[in-house]
Formats: sequence, C-alpha cells, structure tokens
Amino acid sequence: MMKKKLRWILWVGLIVILALYPRVFGIYYTNFFVTFAVFAVYSVSFNLLLGYTALFSFGHAMFFGVGGYGTALALKHIQGFPLLPAILIGAGSAVVLALILCPIVVRVTGSAFSMLHLAFGQLMYVLALKLRNITGGEDGIGGFPIPPFSIPGIVSIDMKAPENFYYFAVVVLGVSLWIMWFFTKTPFGQIQVGVRDNAMRVDYLGFKVPQTKAVVYVVAGAFAGVAGSIFALFQNLIAADSGFGILVSFGAVINTLVGGLGSFFGPIWGTAIMQILEEVTTRYTDRVELVAGLILILVIMFAPMGFVGGVRILKQKWLAHSAPKVKLEKVS
Amino acid sequence: MNILESRGLYHDFKGLEVLFDVNLQVEEGERHAVIGPNGAGKTTLFNVITGTYHPSRGQVFFKGKEVTGSKPYQMARLGMGRSFQITSTFNRLTAFQNIRLAVLSKKGVRFQLFRKVDKMEDITKETDEILKRINLDRERDMPAGMLSYGKHRSLEISMALGTDPDLVMLDEPTAGMSRDETHYAVELIRRLTEGKTAVIIEHDMDVVFSLADRITVLHYGQILATGPPAEIRQNQAVKDAYLGELEA
Amino acid sequence: MESTTAMYVAQGIHGLAYGMVLFLVASGLTLIFGMMDILNLAHAAFFMLAAYFCYQFLSLTGNFWAALLLAPIVTAFFGILLERFLLRKIHAFGLMSQLTLTVGVSLVILAGVKIFWGTESLPVKIPPILSGLVKIGGMDYPVYRLFIIVLSLVVLAIMALLLYKTRIGKIVRAAVSDADMVNALGINIPLVFTFVFGVGIWLAGIAGVVIAPILTVFPGLADQMGMDAFVVVITGGFGSLTGAFIVSIIFGLLSSYGVQFVSSLAPVLMFAFMAIILAIRPMGLFGERE
Repeated sequence: MMKKKLRWILWVGLIVILALYPRVFGIYYTNFFVTFAVFAVYSVSFNLLLGYTALFSFGHAMFFGVGGYGTALALKHIQGFPLLPAILIGAGSAVVLALILCPIVVRVTGSAFSMLHLAFGQLMYVLALKLRNITGGEDGIGGFPIPPFSIPGIVSIDMKAPENFYYFAVVVLGVSLWIMWFFTKTPFGQIQVGVRDNAMRVDYLGFKVPQTKAVVYVVAGAFAGVAGSIFALFQNLIAADSGFGILVSFGAVINTLVGGLGSFFGPIWGTAIMQILEEVTTRYTDRVELVAGLILILVIMFAPMGFVGGVRILKQKWLAHSAPKVKLEKVS
Repeated sequence: MNILESRGLYHDFKGLEVLFDVNLQVEEGERHAVIGPNGAGKTTLFNVITGTYHPSRGQVFFKGKEVTGSKPYQMARLGMGRSFQITSTFNRLTAFQNIRLAVLSKKGVRFQLFRKVDKMEDITKETDEILKRINLDRERDMPAGMLSYGKHRSLEISMALGTDPDLVMLDEPTAGMSRDETHYAVELIRRLTEGKTAVIIEHDMDVVFSLADRITVLHYGQILATGPPAEIRQNQAVKDAYLGELEA
Repeated sequence: MESTTAMYVAQGIHGLAYGMVLFLVASGLTLIFGMMDILNLAHAAFFMLAAYFCYQFLSLTGNFWAALLLAPIVTAFFGILLERFLLRKIHAFGLMSQLTLTVGVSLVILAGVKIFWGTESLPVKIPPILSGLVKIGGMDYPVYRLFIIVLSLVVLAIMALLLYKTRIGKIVRAAVSDADMVNALGINIPLVFTFVFGVGIWLAGIAGVVIAPILTVFPGLADQMGMDAFVVVITGGFGSLTGAFIVSIIFGLLSSYGVQFVSSLAPVLMFAFMAIILAIRPMGLFGERE
C-alpha cells in the first residue's frame, strides 16, 4: 500500500516537473530536453529488439530516418498537411520498411542479423545521399511548414514556439514510451523475452518464433519512426547524416549499453547520461571524439551492465550489508 | 491405439546414417522407455519425432495423423511435449515465468497484446498450482539459472508437461542426478504422467525398470527389441549389445 | 584504339591495386573474426594509424623502405596491446561489448592522430624507384600500382607459406576450426590468439603504408576503407580468406571501372550487393557460420 502511494506521488511529481520545466529552465534547455526525449524513445525502441529479443539491429537509424523523411516529405509537398497525420505518415513509412524487411529478418539471427542491418542501414544512408531530387541529398529537406496542433473548431496551437512544441513532443513521446512499456508487460512480451533466452524452447512450447520476432520488429521500427518524425519537426530539417548516419545507429547502441540493456528504462538513462556528457564536454574541449571514445572504453571495461545494472548491483550490496536476508533479484 | 508411431524411419547427417528402418510403436497411456548404448540414435529419434529434423525417409504418425516433417511448434500444439537432456530453460526468467510460458501456450494466449500478463489471474493461479505440484513454489521468484541442479531438472521436465500434452518425450530426465534426486524425479515423473503417455530416454536401468511399461532397445540406429521389461531383461541380443559396449 | 585499351588496362591496374590493399585489410579482419570471434571495428583505424607512422618514419629517416618495414610492426604492437589488455577481458561479454569497445578505441585513435599530427592532409612521396611508368609488352603501366600488387601477392604468399608449411601455421589453422580442442592439447591458445591478432593488424599496417602515397595521410582514411573492408568481410563470409580475396578483387575492379561508368551509384550498388548477398546467404559467399 505504501509502495503504491509512493509510486503515485513520484509520477505526479514527474508530471509537475515536466510541466514546469520550460518555465524554469528556459528555451535552450527546453530544446535540450526535446532532443533527449526523441533519442530516448529511439533508443528504447532499439532495446526492444536487443535487450528483449536478442536482436542486434545495427542499422536502426534507417527507421528513424525514414520516419523523419516521411514526415518532412509529406509536409513539404502537400499544402496544409496537418500535424498528426504527418507524424503518422512518418511512423507508417517506418512500419512499411519494417514489413518489407520482415521476411528476411526473421530467418536470420546473431551476427548475420546485425550485419544485414548494417548493410541496410548504410544502403538507406547512401540512397538518401544520392537521390537528391527526392531527399535533397546531403542538405536534406528543411524549411518545410510546421503545422499547428489543431482540433478543428476548438483550438489551434502554434508548434513553432519552442515551449508549445516541447509539450506536444513530450506527450507524443511519453505516450510512445508508455505503449512500448505496456508491450513488454503483455503475454506477448513474455514470449519475446523467452525468445531472447532460449528461442528453441519457445518453439517447443508451441509458439511461432519467426512471427513473434516480426511483430516486435515492426513495433520497434514504428516507434523509431515516431522519434525520427518528431526530430524532423523539431529541427525543421532532416538530412542523410542526421537521419540515417552510422552515428545515429551507433548512438542507439551506446545509449543502451551505457544505460543498461537488461531493463526497459536503461536506454533512457543512457541517453540522458550521454547527452549531458556531450553537452558538458563540448563546453570544455574540442576533443569530443577522445572523450567519447574513452567513455565507451571505460564503460565496457568497468561497467558493462550499464548504469541500471550498476545501480542494481549497488542496491544488492547495500541490502546484503544492512539486512541478514538477501532478496533475490528478479531479472526481466 | 498407438498414439505415436514411426514407419520405416531413416535419418542421416550428410551421409552419416544414424537411424535405420525404425518402426517405433507407442501405445496410448503407457510409459515407454527407449534405451541403448551411447550413440545409438536415441536423441536423433526424438529430434525426428518432435520436428527438429525432417527424416531422410519414413513417416511419423501422431494420434493417427501423419506428422512427418512438422515443425516443433506444430507438434507442441498437437499435444506433444518434450524435455531436453541438457537443461534448456529460460535461465534469466524466474521459475514462475518459465512455467507460465508453458501455461500461456496451453491456453492459446499467444499474440495477446492488450493485457498485462501479471494481471491474468487464472494464468497466475494455474502456474502457482504447477509450481506447488513440482515443489518449486518456494523458488517461485528465483531465476531459473540459479536453481540447484535437481530443481533445475525438475523445472525442465515440468516445462515439457506444462502445456498439458497428451504425449511427453523426456530425454534423459535424470541425467546427472544423485541417487536421492533420481528417486525424487522418478516419483515426480510418475505423478505428472498419470493419464498421459510418456516416452523416456534413459541410461539408468533402475529408473527404466521402475517406470517403464514397455521398453524399446536401440542399437546403432536400429531397433533391437521391443517389449515389457521382463522380456527385455532376458533378451540375448540386448545383453550382447550392452556387453559388447562394455567391452569396447 | 590503343589508347582506349590502355585506359582500360590502367583502370584495371588501379582497380587491382586497390583490391589488393582492400584484401590486406579485410584478410586481417576476417581472420580475427573467424578465429577469435572478435569483430574489430577499430581495424581500419589501425590501417590509418600505420599510414601516419609511415609518414613519421619517412620524415625521420627519409627512407620509404624503412617506413614500410617499421610502421606496420609498430602498429601491430599497438594492436597487440589492445588485444592483450582490453579485448581479452571482454570476450565473454559478447558481440555488443566488442563492437562498442572497438568503436571507442577507433575514436581514441582518431583523436590521437589529430592531436599528434593535426587535421591536414600529409603527403607521402613515392620513392623514385617506384614512380613513373614502365613499358611491358608494348603498354605502359604505373610502376607504383604494380608494386602494390606485387608486394601484396608476396605478403600473401608468405602468409600462405606460414599457414600451410609451418607448425605455427598448423596450430593457427586448427585453432580456427576448434580453439577448445587445440587448447585441450596443451597449446597456449591465448598466445596464439594474440599472435594472430598482431598479424592481422600488421597486414592492415602494410596496407596503410602502401596506400599512403596514393591517398595522402589524413584523419578520414579510416572511414572509407573501414566500410569497404567490412562489406568485403561480410559478403565474402566471416572467416573466409578465399571469400575476402574474391570480393576484394571484385570491389577493387568495380570501383575502378564503376567510377568511370556509374560513379554516383557506386556506393548504392555496393550496399545493395551486400544486402542481397546477405539476404540469400546470411553467412556470406564463403562463410560457414550458421
């Protein structure tokens, strides 16, 4: 009972903080948060494949980029295209891509899966660069109209104002996170982790493993697409590098690893940590690569379980220290 | 009625012949042991029957219908369960979660995306009941990978039975167990396979003779003999096969 | 008529030369993966590092041959440090950790070369003996490119000899098939692994030295080569030297002729090719992993 009440208070507190954030921290940090939220959702979608199904999607940026380009293209070429449908187009394009790749993807596991995704991810990147007429090449698509958030006849909110966009993005991304979270709590989510641990056994229990993987794949792709879509709206720009670049794909990996891939919230922590670190280091030094590289090396060598994993271990040590009865951690 | 039957089953791995003309017949409701020296092809036979391999030649019939070459998940849905010689559970999930997956399958809950699994009370209740029956209720929330060997094997066996199959194939269920653990496992298997059919690969002769209604002896991929324990005990060819193995 | 043939031949030589260099890099990568299950994303960074060392040795001694000898060895030394102190420890943690660690290492190497040598393009001159054209059978061939091809073949011949005619080679080959077994036979597997890793990096080092005069030495060297080598290894098959060789040559020739005819689509074709191969044969053309 206490725990439930505590939870409630924490959630309400979080909502209050999120609501007041722009007022308190100003435009620069409001935008900072939106970037964080975008990549947090993107990284969580990546982890749906990695941490939950043991599928290492080395080119996850392709869904992110497709989402961004889908939205940008719709807004650029269709006059007066409304906001929510634009995002749906972005997410929808990502879903289409996922569906196209599905048949190949479910038959392949392990490093082959990763490499195939690297190939596809790079293919999308290079296509985005080369198909200048459609994608604007290296410069990408920018300056497209940002429609207001409007419910006909009731309200129309200008999305070009950073504060308004912040609220909109937080809601959309927050809902996305919630959906993904719920997804992992369903029976299907259990099958998914079963596949991660022992796909053969899942097969023997009577579940269709390839189809299970396909569903997860499409869901993960869809939400990466949503993130990409919001990103394109936020920056009013989407380009080959920012959408499909190898660094974007790597980013998901790094955020997840640093945060901890065994948990749902790991990638969120990882994204926060990495983004804050990046922000801090660019203030003091030009040598971003050096710092980034060293951080990666240090994390892998000394904290491979990530932030969340590290916290868990510390918690267990503290519990073992302060109480005679050790509580066994349930993993998943 | 023969719940399980193989006719003229052959299997080879890239030229290496492992099964020759295996005609296995398992009657409904019996406990049928498959024994034989190492390398006789017992696990391969299991793999062919349960759908891991597509046999090079021959047919498999389950409940009267041909199922040759079906996939494992299809066999599971038809009512066949299987346990593995090397414990194959979901090691990072708890004992509870392991059994629950089997229960979910039994209930046909597969692509359910709209409910929280923890809130499905009937599933939870049934899972807890199974855990109690196999004496793992205290280890309910322990990751499977951390269970003691004996309990881990118990979990392994119960997962094969968790989908409530009509036929369960147990591959060396007591492998690696101590005397006491084996005793316990035998009683567990006896209890859990009441009213079901079981095919059991075993090396431990005590287990075989205490559990089996009939025994099939496999040697170099061929059936040497099939019959009730007493008969097999006296069978000269069987004795030669085993003796030969000891001398080799 | 003659000038068109000459052009095709010249393109061919260029392509072969690049293909050979690509193979030198890819062979190390695929050997290391095939034997040790290590996917070294920093491999190309070592390639680049060797080019920088080449420049440095050249500045110090004025002798290209000295650079050719020393740079790969020094680079291999750093590679061995990486394997011995970092990679070995995380081997058990799986693919993801390796990838992330080696990405980190490549970033550090990149930062390192920028710190020590700056960000500008550094020229490396072809030694006079190897410059210019040579007439063979009535046609002119670029000497340096021929040198690259010949040197690569010599290096490969030595590697093949080592692998197939010496005891060490036998051990390495056995370890590629079954490291545990070799370990059980009492052979110091970790040492063998370190040795192979070192050789792999050394090969990339030779490639780096040899390509320096052509591409000049700059921080972006690793990018293109890295991606190309990766694609070669993946499509050729992890652990397959034959596959790496064939695909390298094909890529070399394709990019050389391709630049002529389908220049803008070349990268697209490359990745499409890779994606198609992987979709049909996930283990690569000659790979054996399932």
